[in-house]
Amino acid sequence: MPVDITLIIVLVIALALFFDFTNGFHDTANAMATPIATGALKPKVAVGLAAILNLVGAFLSTEVAKTISGGIIKEGDEGVLITPELIFAGLIGAIVWNMVTWLLGLPSSSSHALFGGLIGAALVGFGIGAIDFGVLMSKVILPAVLAPLTAGLIAFVATKLAYGVTRRYDGKPDGRSGFRYGQVFSSSLVALAHGTNDAQKTMGVITLALISVGLLAPDSGPPFWVVVVCAVAIALGTYMGGWRIIKTLGTGLTDVKPAQGFAAETSTAATILASSHLGFALSTTQVASGSVIGSGIGRRGSTVRWKTAGRIAIGWLFTLPAAGAVGALAALVAHLGPWGVILDAVVGIGTIVFIFLWSRRDTVGHHNVVSEVAASGEAVVIAPEIEPKKVAK
Amino acid sequence: MIDWMGFIVVLVAALTGTVLVVGFYALGLKMLVRAGRVPVVIPAAFTDAITVLTPAEIKSAAKKAAKAARKNPLTPMQKRVALIAAYCCFTVCGLAILFGIYLIVPALHGG
Repeated sequence: MPVDITLIIVLVIALALFFDFTNGFHDTANAMATPIATGALKPKVAVGLAAILNLVGAFLSTEVAKTISGGIIKEGDEGVLITPELIFAGLIGAIVWNMVTWLLGLPSSSSHALFGGLIGAALVGFGIGAIDFGVLMSKVILPAVLAPLTAGLIAFVATKLAYGVTRRYDGKPDGRSGFRYGQVFSSSLVALAHGTNDAQKTMGVITLALISVGLLAPDSGPPFWVVVVCAVAIALGTYMGGWRIIKTLGTGLTDVKPAQGFAAETSTAATILASSHLGFALSTTQVASGSVIGSGIGRRGSTVRWKTAGRIAIGWLFTLPAAGAVGALAALVAHLGPWGVILDAVVGIGTIVFIFLWSRRDTVGHHNVVSEVAASGEAVVIAPEIEPKKVAK
Repeated sequence: MIDWMGFIVVLVAALTGTVLVVGFYALGLKMLVRAGRVPVVIPAAFTDAITVLTPAEIKSAAKKAAKAARKNPLTPMQKRVALIAAYCCFTVCGLAILFGIYLIVPALHGG
């Protein structure tokens, strides 16, 4: 096999695994932000649990997609020929955007970032005809609007219900802290579902790259080593914990209480399961964010920080074009040949290291994701919540 | 093509599932409280989102729960019924979780 093909395949696998890793730490928040925020689980325990469930999940479901972009890019005989260079450029776009959104603490969809990167790369290589805009609309853009609305509505109803059922008018203990136990289960379900869905995407990318250079027969499943490394990469990423995003989702949008957290996580789990089994794909990240906002609207006396919500929405808006722009740029350079690919890799790694170093200026980790405000809180008297009294008629 | 019917089905299914689980869990907690076993679950870690509890406050919450349990107007029989009802509710939630796992693991539903 020629040296340059070996080089690019090695690079694609390395990048795909790193993408898997960023996917893991980007999405820890979806499952574990609210249990961490309500104190149902200690931060380290929560990410550890999520990591194990992602690892298990990755092994449970290894039926990979036959197309890399789910039909957004016209692949196959009449459309675009998926080359390792295209996958390579797409992955660079996706990873860079994942790192940027992580730095900003924004929950954003890793799969949309991957789609964006691939679309950008395909546009450069094959022009606008390579993209199926109908599929793009129905599989990415419209679900991005519907996912948070759906999950938000469901979480709103669930939160109202949870508070309504447990409400007491006599001021006696209502047992709502018991929702903390429930949170452990509902968020575990989300983590497991994530492992089965998302590790699979990377397995698909690597498998398709191997098929494209003839190392694997067409239509073959992922080799076992691919399954193992993908599972480990996503679990490691999850364990690293995207603390910045956990902070945004757990405490940035609204102050989450146990009943709310349980309602939000259950809504996330139910919506994801329904969407993946009834055939209307919704992004986990967008569902989880919508759930948290919905539960914030649903609890009396809680406020939703719409400014943060707005920042997240802007992040979603930019995911596709931004990852696409980076992917397109990387594809342009990669067309220069092996040296272009090497240049891409060097610049890509440089960008990632730069973002990482930049993030060191103000680290957010398990030690301070639960903020300093709480630590000093013992000195602060906080007025107890006043429960509504039933008005005598 | 936008699959609106698919979307509606997802919305209804997810809403039904969530309402079922959250409703039964909340009902279970209510029954538990009725039965005089108020769960007091202390946060494992404190965050901004939690009104900070001092050890004294935690103690007083537990005390309040115990007091409410003592003053419970229900007869022992009624308490037992409430407790059984609570466990039934939690069982429904547990089954829902198992159904979730069934849906997640392809080997179980042959998908």
